[in-house]
Amino acid sequence: MNTNNMRYFLSFILVVCSGVLLHAQTTKRITGTVLDGSNKAPLVGVTISLRDTANAITATDGNGNFSVTVPVSTTALYFSNIGFKTKSASVRGKNMLEVYMEASNDAMQGVVVQGFQKRAKSTATGSTVSLSGEDIQNVPVSNFTELLQGRVAGVNVQNTTGMPGARTSMTFRGMTSGSISGSGNDAFLTPTSPLFVIDGVPVDINSGYEYGFDQSGPGMSPLSMIPPEDIETIDFLKSGGATALYGSRGTYGVVLVTTKRGKTKVPIIRYSGKFYINAVPKLKPVIGGQLERELRIRQIMENDSSLYSGRDKIDMAPGLSDYLNPYYNNSTDWQSIFYGPTFNMSHNIQASGGDQKFNYKVNAGYSKDQGIIKNTGFTRYALSMNTDYRPSERFNLATSFSASMGEQQKGNGNGVSQTGVASAVSASSLLPRPSFFGGNATALGNFSTRNENKSSNLLGNVQLRYEFIKGFTLSDNFSYTYSAGRETNFTPSLINNNTATAYAYDDKKQELNNRVMLALNKEYGRHLINAYVFNEVTSRTFYPKAIMHYGSPNDQYEGPLGYDPATGLWGIVDNYTPGYRIMGNGGNVTYNYDGRYILDLTYRLDGTSSNGPNQPFIKNPSISGRWNFYREKFLESASWLSDGAIRADWAKNITPQGSIFDANGKYLFTGRFNNNPTIGLDWEFIPNPNLLPITAQKYNAGLELGFLQNRFNLTLETYYEQKDNELYDYAIADHNAFSKKKTNALSSVNYGYEFSVGIMPFPRTSKVTWNINFNGSINRNVVTHLPDDARLILKYDTDNKQDIVYRLGRSNLSYILYHYRGVFQSDDEVPVDPATGKPYRAQTDKGTYYFGAGDPYWTDLDGNYIIDGNDRVIAGSAATKVFGGIQSMLRYEGWALNINMSYLYGRDILNNALAQRLQSYSNPFALQKDASLIPISDIDFWSPEKADARYPNPYNYLYNGIYSPFRFDQTLFMEDGSYFKINTISLTYMLPKSLISRFNMTTFQLFGTINNVHTFSNYSGPDPELVTDLGKDRSDGYPNRRSYTLGLNIQF
Amino acid sequence: MKMNFYIAVFIVLVSAGISGCQKKYLPTDRDAFDLGSSFSTTVYHPVLGRTTLFTDNFKDISSSKPLNFRMLNLRAFDGSAAPELLKPFPTLVWIKKYTGLETSLAEIEAKRKTEDHPLFEIRQHSGEFIMWSSARSSILRPMPDSGYVFDVEVSNNGGRKIIEGLKLQPYRERDYEPNNADLITGNVTNDVVHPLSVSNIIGDSSGIALTAQDVEISFHQASFTGSSLTFKFLDDQNRLIDPAKFNLTDWAKLVHGFNMQKTGTYVKYDVAYPIPLVELPTAYTNSTGTLAHLDFGYERLGFGGVRQVSGLLFDFSIFAKGDWEIVIAFTKETPRFDND
Repeated sequence: MNTNNMRYFLSFILVVCSGVLLHAQTTKRITGTVLDGSNKAPLVGVTISLRDTANAITATDGNGNFSVTVPVSTTALYFSNIGFKTKSASVRGKNMLEVYMEASNDAMQGVVVQGFQKRAKSTATGSTVSLSGEDIQNVPVSNFTELLQGRVAGVNVQNTTGMPGARTSMTFRGMTSGSISGSGNDAFLTPTSPLFVIDGVPVDINSGYEYGFDQSGPGMSPLSMIPPEDIETIDFLKSGGATALYGSRGTYGVVLVTTKRGKTKVPIIRYSGKFYINAVPKLKPVIGGQLERELRIRQIMENDSSLYSGRDKIDMAPGLSDYLNPYYNNSTDWQSIFYGPTFNMSHNIQASGGDQKFNYKVNAGYSKDQGIIKNTGFTRYALSMNTDYRPSERFNLATSFSASMGEQQKGNGNGVSQTGVASAVSASSLLPRPSFFGGNATALGNFSTRNENKSSNLLGNVQLRYEFIKGFTLSDNFSYTYSAGRETNFTPSLINNNTATAYAYDDKKQELNNRVMLALNKEYGRHLINAYVFNEVTSRTFYPKAIMHYGSPNDQYEGPLGYDPATGLWGIVDNYTPGYRIMGNGGNVTYNYDGRYILDLTYRLDGTSSNGPNQPFIKNPSISGRWNFYREKFLESASWLSDGAIRADWAKNITPQGSIFDANGKYLFTGRFNNNPTIGLDWEFIPNPNLLPITAQKYNAGLELGFLQNRFNLTLETYYEQKDNELYDYAIADHNAFSKKKTNALSSVNYGYEFSVGIMPFPRTSKVTWNINFNGSINRNVVTHLPDDARLILKYDTDNKQDIVYRLGRSNLSYILYHYRGVFQSDDEVPVDPATGKPYRAQTDKGTYYFGAGDPYWTDLDGNYIIDGNDRVIAGSAATKVFGGIQSMLRYEGWALNINMSYLYGRDILNNALAQRLQSYSNPFALQKDASLIPISDIDFWSPEKADARYPNPYNYLYNGIYSPFRFDQTLFMEDGSYFKINTISLTYMLPKSLISRFNMTTFQLFGTINNVHTFSNYSGPDPELVTDLGKDRSDGYPNRRSYTLGLNIQF
Repeated sequence: MKMNFYIAVFIVLVSAGISGCQKKYLPTDRDAFDLGSSFSTTVYHPVLGRTTLFTDNFKDISSSKPLNFRMLNLRAFDGSAAPELLKPFPTLVWIKKYTGLETSLAEIEAKRKTEDHPLFEIRQHSGEFIMWSSARSSILRPMPDSGYVFDVEVSNNGGRKIIEGLKLQPYRERDYEPNNADLITGNVTNDVVHPLSVSNIIGDSSGIALTAQDVEISFHQASFTGSSLTFKFLDDQNRLIDPAKFNLTDWAKLVHGFNMQKTGTYVKYDVAYPIPLVELPTAYTNSTGTLAHLDFGYERLGFGGVRQVSGLLFDFSIFAKGDWEIVIAFTKETPRFDND
């Protein structure tokens, strides 16, 4: 290098450096404190930014202090924090600030997530609701989705099981599936839970439940693996516009869960502990001992064909006649053996800290939730951490990692049902308590089976962002999930017909997601343009294996040697879906004019491996817009209007369905030929190369209003969502080699209205802060297309005969039932066929039964005097019509009282539990199963003395089997399932700072919570919520328990 | 203030606008009608003189119930009008449940009444056809005539369909069963029928057991106006046997009849027709209730003083009202009633 060049180079360096120095001189340093306006407590983690919509430049530390370097020209700083109103403070000529923030319940303020980006709520074009993690902190639950009930308009959460760690039913805007699998009480809807994205990692929560309630594997919901204490925000992306960028899996809505992050320079340590009691709800009363025996004997004597026949049958049933035998001389309360209160605790500790350049968080949680049924429970160990590294404004690396392990004891049932317990509890009280010499093998099985269920999850996520030219940003989001589930179960031979059974299940699931994105951010005066293109890849594998051994040599030896190889089973689980690949390419343009007019356009192309090869890619466009009319000039005078916007969007989304086999066919092991194993085609389903994913088209419109500094605000929304191409198994003509074909045939529409209202009755300056939120949704669900252009299709239920009917123009969960008109008070009331003289009758393969006094009268729709399937009418529906919730948050100095309520209206429930209860009288000889006699004296049933009754005669056991008076599919058991529920009441007390500061604590909070407080309902069953998605109340369900909690939150 | 008013109106209009126009393109909730539904039986052969109900004759899978049925264009096979099928005739219909426990004819008759009905009807919602017992061959054209043709309209508020060319070809009356008359022509070559079973009846002279073929049973309608049933027994010389010889027979419960007259030559009951009245199992019928059941029996001392129980079973039905006689003739050999 010659000197000349050297000189130029040095002068260049000098110029650059002086530029930097010059730049440095134009900044100033501002320090200050941010305090809560209501109680003057320091606020932690308040983000500070230069503009309303810009990125945060710093955040307050554990004592509410901040320090920030800003350009000299800066006039104001903006402070925002979730749960508080955004505040701007002038910094002109100031270096010290004291900022008081006002709490707000306004749904209007704050940030929401739309697509892949966080943006100010006032620029969101889609329908998004954000919920603070604070709202769900003080209630101990295994699965935080339980606590979302009634909080967000349009999101229907039903706690259909009380099993710790199991899944709740969650639907967005009534979006349910039309495909039903299984039969009887076990019939279930294909799960249609929204897509959950936890810290940028999509989590499939429907998995493990593809097989219905009798799910294979440990049966834990992946959401149970997240400690609720670690949740910062939950965003609900409802409309098509909001989920447009999750187009390949967004049909059923998207829920984004963000865990806490480090925000304070001074590291803070937060501990929260909960100690709670799970209480048993009221159980059904049962007739026991001598009373039970006498009732059975009386029933037989009074209702058998003759006195001698009845006596003979009693003599032949030792359980009834041999009452001196100690084996039958008992009065066992089976329910008390299984149900009992449990004491539980959960602990969570979190350390976080850092500044804008580097921050971190580590969270460790332990929780043990023992169910109220013996041998059930859920234990969670969770460890998670995240870091955010930002050496310069232009470069950003964020990582998060979480590992969790769940252990579940399922007892003798599974997530939803406790069939084992139910069947054991239904044993006669005459049998002795469980022992190896006892008569109730199922009961014993619940205690003596060795059962272990473990599920472990690893979630990792790396987000990289680099702004290589001003305005152009390249970013990549990579995540990987690994989860493994294992179940082992050993049933000793003593209780299993002298054959021990060992079952082992093992699965592994891996999912890899990568999204690379190029974004452009340009501002020309009042015009703001934001655009990006991206490529997204998802790859998922799933591999479940199971092995089952019969006949181990003894009950201590579980194999693998010594079992009976001829009866052993092993292999992959039936009908498993091997995983899938999804690839999406797309782009988005957002145009924002002066914060008044915002337009969003998105287009993406999605390919999934389960699409037919002829239809590899689906186009998913969306368009959405927003008009913030309160910023218009003509409204400047309207000071009472603090917020007002209209938004509308349209989008197309897909969700993959079925498996790669449906489109491409399947090869199987087809036996041996010439002593060689052979592989051949599976002839059940013909491959359908034109198979499409579920496609949804969604329209959404909303109106947002805020009055009087947002003390009152209102959001109204309406939507219309059309879902097409749902799979239907279509039988093809029997001269084909294949027997069925999967086709895209079912369509349905959901439309409805949502509102949410937030009210602050007291002015912001008041010492008492009271926020009330109401929300509600009205949803209608309509079938719009059926296979073969049919108008009506019945989905048969072989067990309970509770068929589901699909009829165009009706809800897709309609019932078809016998219309119950009452009881025949006397024989003369029975209608007689004028032509043949035969009375009204039931004809089955078990014989013909002519109705008489005390028998049910169902409408004979076709007038042939025979009650059969043609006489059923379409009545009622399991679809929820109106639902919502009410929240009240009352705060006075250190005290806070939070109440959360929810309601549901217009859902019909089939009370199978009551039907079963009455059916248990149909066999007075049964002792083992369905034999517990529940007192029915509270039920108005027919007897010769009381002819004018609501329910038919339950004692006619000789003929009950033919005409089934308590059949499940009748309007007698259809009840209104509306309810109003007080979900939680939580009282919190924050100790004054003066008291705790000597212990170096910054916060010490004590709280007491009651969960599942009370449900008001006209429903005659125990709990109108404890029903399946198909509206059936089952008596073998896991009851929802009430819990009483004492807890504390400490922050150092 | 005026401004505020306009703003309020504007907000109301917008919210009304976004909540409207949603139902427009949804399918209406009306009944489904399955165009593939049809009658599984298209030719109907009732036997005249008895009420016949054709059931299970309409197949439909996916229509909303109930369906409405209407008979159209009832005509003779050659296309000429058939007013005889449309004209109402008095016929007996049931109004109350027959139990088999009634204790008088009046009690039975109180459970029936006379109504006017066209001879051939379709049930409005089930599509079942009824041929009433008042239809006689004197009014209608029985086989071997080709009979009648008619169409049926099936509908609900989701659609309708006309099923054409259903045929009605009635058989001539067969007033009792079992019956040897030819189904189509009604010709009788041998009107004698045999019992269901004969057990342990020994010929008086030969000592050889009689079979069912050795006993001949015939039905005689003595008058059309009465309402009685008489049983007579003949020996191989065509002499009347004293019914009392069938000493194990439960005469009071033999048929559902009243005012039993038991003489040395016959047993007579006042009965209601048809027999059996209703196809229901009762003490007087076979196990399915389709036919009346007769059980005649006697006992005697056999060789060596052993008790011998003998019996004769016969199931039958009679459709026409009148004074009927059932004659049981032991044509081959008179049974042995005396002790050995």
